[in-house]
Amino acid sequence: MNSDRRRINAPSGGTSAPVFARTVKESGYLKSLRPSRTRGPKELRKIFLQTGIVPSASGSAYLEIPTSNSSTKTLIPSQSSLKIICSIQGPKPLPRSAPFSPCLLLTTTVKFAPFATRTRRGYVRDSVERDLGVHLETALRGVIIAERWPKSGVEVVITIIEGDEDGWWGDDVSSTGVVGGGPGAGSGWGLLNVLAGCITVASAAIADAGIDCVDLVCGGVAAVTRNSASRNGQRQGAVQILDPNPSEHRDIAAACAVAYLAGRDEITELWMKGAIGADPEPLIEGATHAAVGNLSVLREVLLEAVEAKFKGDTEQEKEISKSKSSVQDVEMTG
Amino acid sequence: MATATPAKPTPTLSFPRPIFAALSPHPFLQAHLTSTPNTPLRANGRTAQETRPIGVNTDALTHSHGSAVVRMGNTVAVCGVRGEILRAEDAASSSGSLSSTADSSDDDDEGGEEEQNEMEQLRLLVPNIELSTGSTPAHIPGSAPSTLAQTLVTRLRALLLSTHLVRLSDLRIAYTPPANPDEDAEAQEVQVKGYWVLYIDTMFLALDGSAFDCAWLAMLAALRATLLPHAFWDEELETILCSDEPEKAARLRLRGLPVPSSFAVFEGSEDGEGVEWVLSDPDAFEDSVCRESVCVVVDGSQGKGLVRRVEKSGGGLVDRENIKVLFKKGMQRWKEWEKVLEERK
Repeated sequence: MNSDRRRINAPSGGTSAPVFARTVKESGYLKSLRPSRTRGPKELRKIFLQTGIVPSASGSAYLEIPTSNSSTKTLIPSQSSLKIICSIQGPKPLPRSAPFSPCLLLTTTVKFAPFATRTRRGYVRDSVERDLGVHLETALRGVIIAERWPKSGVEVVITIIEGDEDGWWGDDVSSTGVVGGGPGAGSGWGLLNVLAGCITVASAAIADAGIDCVDLVCGGVAAVTRNSASRNGQRQGAVQILDPNPSEHRDIAAACAVAYLAGRDEITELWMKGAIGADPEPLIEGATHAAVGNLSVLREVLLEAVEAKFKGDTEQEKEISKSKSSVQDVEMTG
Repeated sequence: MATATPAKPTPTLSFPRPIFAALSPHPFLQAHLTSTPNTPLRANGRTAQETRPIGVNTDALTHSHGSAVVRMGNTVAVCGVRGEILRAEDAASSSGSLSSTADSSDDDDEGGEEEQNEMEQLRLLVPNIELSTGSTPAHIPGSAPSTLAQTLVTRLRALLLSTHLVRLSDLRIAYTPPANPDEDAEAQEVQVKGYWVLYIDTMFLALDGSAFDCAWLAMLAALRATLLPHAFWDEELETILCSDEPEKAARLRLRGLPVPSSFAVFEGSEDGEGVEWVLSDPDAFEDSVCRESVCVVVDGSQGKGLVRRVEKSGGGLVDRENIKVLFKKGMQRWKEWEKVLEERK
C-alpha cells in the first residue's frame, strides 16, 4: 500500500470488496443476474445532456446514459450507467515561463471518480486515464480552430462519475472468485464507450464555452459480436451492433470508437480494439452512424441552450430598464 | 448576480461589474453593503444573514453503498460511500494489539473514548475530497492536492471522529461460534472477524464558497443513505461473505446530526470607520475578500442545541457577544438541514 501523506489513507492491512454468498454458493444464481440486450442492434441508448452546469467554468456539460436496473431482489448492481461531467477552463494566457505558441494549447484531463467503477479507483491518475486523455486530445485538436488564440491555453477537465464496464462482472467472478477481481478479460470494451461519451460531452462544453470549431464533433461506438449460437461457424454468426453495452454481450470480437464530424464527413479519432479481420470498413461506418445519432441530441441541446440564453438576455435587459426608472442604482466607482 | 444593478454612468471612469469586482474587490463589496443601510445587500443579492437554499439528492450512484449529490447555490458536491472489508488479522498486523472480542458496551448514544481510539487506529473511516475536477479555475488537475484540499479533508475527518457520528458496532463483523456440547456455554464468546471500512469520497463538481459546509452535508447525506449488506463469517469457506438480500442489509445508525455553518467577517473601510458585517454562507468572492472566518458546528437533535465544534481564524472582530449570535444562526441553519435531510428518508 502506497501511502500519500496529503490524503487520508486506507488501513495498511488492505481491504477487499465484499463477496456475496449467493454468487459463490449457488451455481445457477450468478447466471440469472446476467443482463441481456433488449434494444435492437441499430438502436442507441437514450442520452441526457445538459450544458452550463459549472458556473465558474467558461463552459461545461454533463452527459448521462441511464440504465433501468432497479432490481429490488439483490444489492448487487447488474449494470453500470455512464455519467460524465466536463468543464472548460480558459482560453487564458499562458504563463510567462511557457515558450511562445502560435496557437491554442489544448490540455485534456480525464479522471475516474473513486466510486466510478465496480472496483474502487485511486486519486492519482493511472495509465488508462492518461491514455483516454491522449485519445480525447487527438479527437478535439482537429476540431478547434487553434490559430485564433495565440499564446493561450485551454484546459478540458473531464470527471467520470460513473463509467461503463468492460464486460459483465460475473465473468470475473467465475474466473477469479472475487467480485471485481479484475477488468473484464483485459479487453477494455467499456473504455470505448467512455471515450465516445467524453468526446460528446467535451464537444458540448467547448460549444458552451464559445471556442471556435470547424464543426460539432461527436463520439460513437459500434461493435461486432460473435453469435454464441453459431460459434462453430466462425465469422458467419458475426452481428454488428451500435452503441454496445459490454455487460450485455458475451462475445465481442471487435469494437471501434470514432470522433466524427458529420458536416465534413471527417474522422478525427479512431480507436479500434479486437480482431476484425481484413475489412474494418463496415465497423467504422457503423460507429459513425452511432455518432450521427448522438449528434442529433447534441445539436438540439446546444440550440436550446442558445435560445434560453438569448431569451434570458432580452428579459434581463427589460428588467434592468424597468428597475432603472424605479430603484436607485448602487454607486460603484473607485 | 442577476439582481444587481449596473454601474452609474455619471462619473467619467466607470467599469462594468465583473471588472470592478476583479480590480478592487474590497470597495466593491463595501459599496454594495453600504448602499442600503437598513438591509445591507451583498454583491450576490443576498442579505448578510441570508444563506443559500440547499438541495439534496441521494442514491444516484450505482457502485456506492450510499451516495448523495448536494447543491448549495453554485457549490455542488457528490459523495459516494463504499464499504470494503478489513479482515481482523490484517487489522491486527497494522495496529498492534487490539481486543478481538466484541464488547457491546459501545452501543450507547455517546460513544466512548475507547471506541474513538479504535476507529482512528484501524482507520475505518477514510474520507477524501477532490477539488481538481475543473470545479474552480484555481484548482487545475494534475497537481498534488492543494493546501485548501488538505486542510478541508483534515477538518472533515476531525469532525467525523470527534462527533462520534458512526458507531463502531455498525462496522464490526462479529461471529458467534456454534455451541459446543463438550465445552462450557460461557466459553463461547463473540469474535470479531473483520470490519467494514467506509471510503467516503467527495468530488466537488462546482465550487463557489462554503466548501466545508457542502462537503460535510454531502458526507452526512451519503452516510444516512448508506445501506451496508449483511456480512457474516462463513465457517465452510473460512472467509467473510455478504448477503445480497436487501432485507438483511442495515443502515448506519448515526449519532446526532451535527451541522456546520460558515461565516465570513467583512471589515469596513480602512479609514477607521470600524463597521463590520458578518456574512452567512459566504461565496467564493466573499471568501477571498474577508480575512476572518468562523465555523460553528451545532447539533439540535437531542432537543437542545449542542455546540460540537468552533473554528475561528484571522482577525479579531468576533467577540463573545458575536459568537452567541452565530450559534443562534447556526441553529437556524440546523433546522433547515434537518428539514431537507428528513425529506430524503
